[in-house]
Amino acid sequence: MSELINTLMQDARVWQGHRHNKTTQPAEPTGYQALDNQLGGLGWPRGALSECLLDAPGIGELTLLVPLMQRLSQDGKTVFWLNPPHTPYAPALAREGINLDQVIMIHTEDKGDFLWTLENCLRSPVTGLVMAWPGKLAAREIRRLQLAAEAGSNVCVLFRERHYAEQNSPAALRLELEPEHQQSLKVNVVKRRGSWPGQRCSLAIAHRASLSHHETPRVVQGPWPTAAR
Amino acid sequence: MLWLHLHFPHLLLDHIRRSGENVAALAIVEGSGQQVIQACPAARDLGVKAGMRLKTAISLAPDLGIVRADQAQETRILEDQALWVYRYAAHIVLVPPNGLLAEIGSLQRLYGGLPAAWRTIEEVLHERQLNAWLGIGHTPLAAGLIARNGMGECTSDTAQILRTLGRIPLQAAEFDTRTSTRLKRLGLSTLGEVFGLPPAEMARRLSPETLATIQKIQGSRADPQPPWQPPHHFRQQADFVQDIERSQGLLFPLHRMLSELEKDLCWRQQDTDCLLLVLQHRNGEPTHLRIRTSGPEHRAEAFLSLITLRFEQQALKAPVASLRLTVKRFLGREMHGGQDLLGESQDLNEAWHTLISRLQARLGENALKQLAPTDDHRPERAWSTSDVRRSNRATIAATGQLPCRPLWLLQGPQPLTETPKAWFTGPERISGGWWDGQRVHRDYYIAQLNSGQLAWVFRDMREGWFIHGWFG
Repeated sequence: MSELINTLMQDARVWQGHRHNKTTQPAEPTGYQALDNQLGGLGWPRGALSECLLDAPGIGELTLLVPLMQRLSQDGKTVFWLNPPHTPYAPALAREGINLDQVIMIHTEDKGDFLWTLENCLRSPVTGLVMAWPGKLAAREIRRLQLAAEAGSNVCVLFRERHYAEQNSPAALRLELEPEHQQSLKVNVVKRRGSWPGQRCSLAIAHRASLSHHETPRVVQGPWPTAAR
Repeated sequence: MLWLHLHFPHLLLDHIRRSGENVAALAIVEGSGQQVIQACPAARDLGVKAGMRLKTAISLAPDLGIVRADQAQETRILEDQALWVYRYAAHIVLVPPNGLLAEIGSLQRLYGGLPAAWRTIEEVLHERQLNAWLGIGHTPLAAGLIARNGMGECTSDTAQILRTLGRIPLQAAEFDTRTSTRLKRLGLSTLGEVFGLPPAEMARRLSPETLATIQKIQGSRADPQPPWQPPHHFRQQADFVQDIERSQGLLFPLHRMLSELEKDLCWRQQDTDCLLLVLQHRNGEPTHLRIRTSGPEHRAEAFLSLITLRFEQQALKAPVASLRLTVKRFLGREMHGGQDLLGESQDLNEAWHTLISRLQARLGENALKQLAPTDDHRPERAWSTSDVRRSNRATIAATGQLPCRPLWLLQGPQPLTETPKAWFTGPERISGGWWDGQRVHRDYYIAQLNSGQLAWVFRDMREGWFIHGWFG
């Protein structure tokens, strides 16, 4: 019995308010030191679901995952994009040093296929990372995905709308993403295993558009509102 | 030379009983549908006999499964048998309608003697649930006669074989009616007595052809047999007495056929990546199902799980009367074990192919795509999709060489409806496509919208502003 309790404690499955346990669960570093620090020095949990909650694309949500994609694809692990809302732009991915041979984009027709595909990807040993845009999911379905994620040891990131932050979810890590001044990204930890949530950090990722915030805008000549051509 | 003859007394019956799960009483009727020519043990227990009229048989056994004999089908089934016998013997001759001849004399050393070779064949027959009568003879005709009369003995002694042949009664010696009658009128009753006649007299009194047959049986006249060549493809067919209405019912015969395929592929040392299943219906067009795997494969379970997935997606459009599995494309087998040059183990490679095949089987082949940049300045043409393929080439990361592009590209440009709150780099003029009619003439800017999104916007020739991508 005590052995069981010890195991639960070590895996940080039983949450203890008074103590900050260092969890032993496997994880992949995010590639952003500031974020890793907020996540107990670990990063993206492997063999568990992570959720990124955001309002609209274009605030740096992919840039958050670029270091991981880069590392996994170069190690020969496959990166799946499941039902992305827009086209992942191949020249930009290549520019980031992501091995496109390892990137597979999947589109599914209905939700049954979506869950089935995601489960299969999660259970396979060839998968490194699955990025999925599920739309609306019932709690039961997330639970099913969480179990599938536990069967494998891959990173799975679900991108969902920000208002889901108020609902609870079995995902192991939940991050709320918001844009901040100077094109940086504010990350708010809504939930994580083994510790209190509520950590915040700001990641300077203006480099995604080749901008650096010390520089003044490099627009050669403002947009010409009345120019005729 | 020593020949082994395999005589299948009721091959069609065995073939059909093998394809079905529940074996009820079965009878094979002749082409016109009047007479029973073969009956299975269950039917025989009910009193159905070969040679009985079909009406009598049905009144004895009301739920008798009836299969009409078909010559083309019998030939095909016989060839299927030759296919597996070919794994044990090299020189095979088909003896239609239901016999196979194999040269066995040269195989004695391989199997360690004639009894061992005999036993091997008997074991395989048992494993395949086939009934066959074996006979060994020093000539092809002798082996055939002994086998068909059920007098087979495991011996290589010519004198012994001739003694056995001598005991065969004239009616069973397969002469034509006229010769048979004449021999009987001469007062002969067994084949041994015919062997005793002087050859010159036999040719004069009977006919030169009869002499030739006798000499071929005895072995004093050459009887060359052209060897059968195995086909370069794999084909198996299962025929059902009762039509199968649910795809679940097809899995049992499929499992047997696929393990047959696995054995065949192992024996060829080859793999395949494409199976063709043809489901024949009683009425209407047959259904063709093409099962593809994403890589070379030979395991029966892998094929079966793909086919199961396919059946889940696609219901049967009509009851199935027969099922045919064909494989025409064979691929050389890759080396097993160890790691390849790039440190990738076979297991992962296989797991990759398994996953992709599964996904493609359920979602369709177009659901999975790989991305690649293309050489074009126009953003919408600077990328392309391709079918998923496993490649191990290491791409050289040309970081910094490429221009700055957003990670998201919209399916098509969308009108910009608000004034961005901040402008960054720009304009980057992209102009091209005059050569193929897809003219693009735009100034691209990076701008931040009020919602905080970093957008890739452009202004085209007609002064319209559009969003073309997000810096995600």
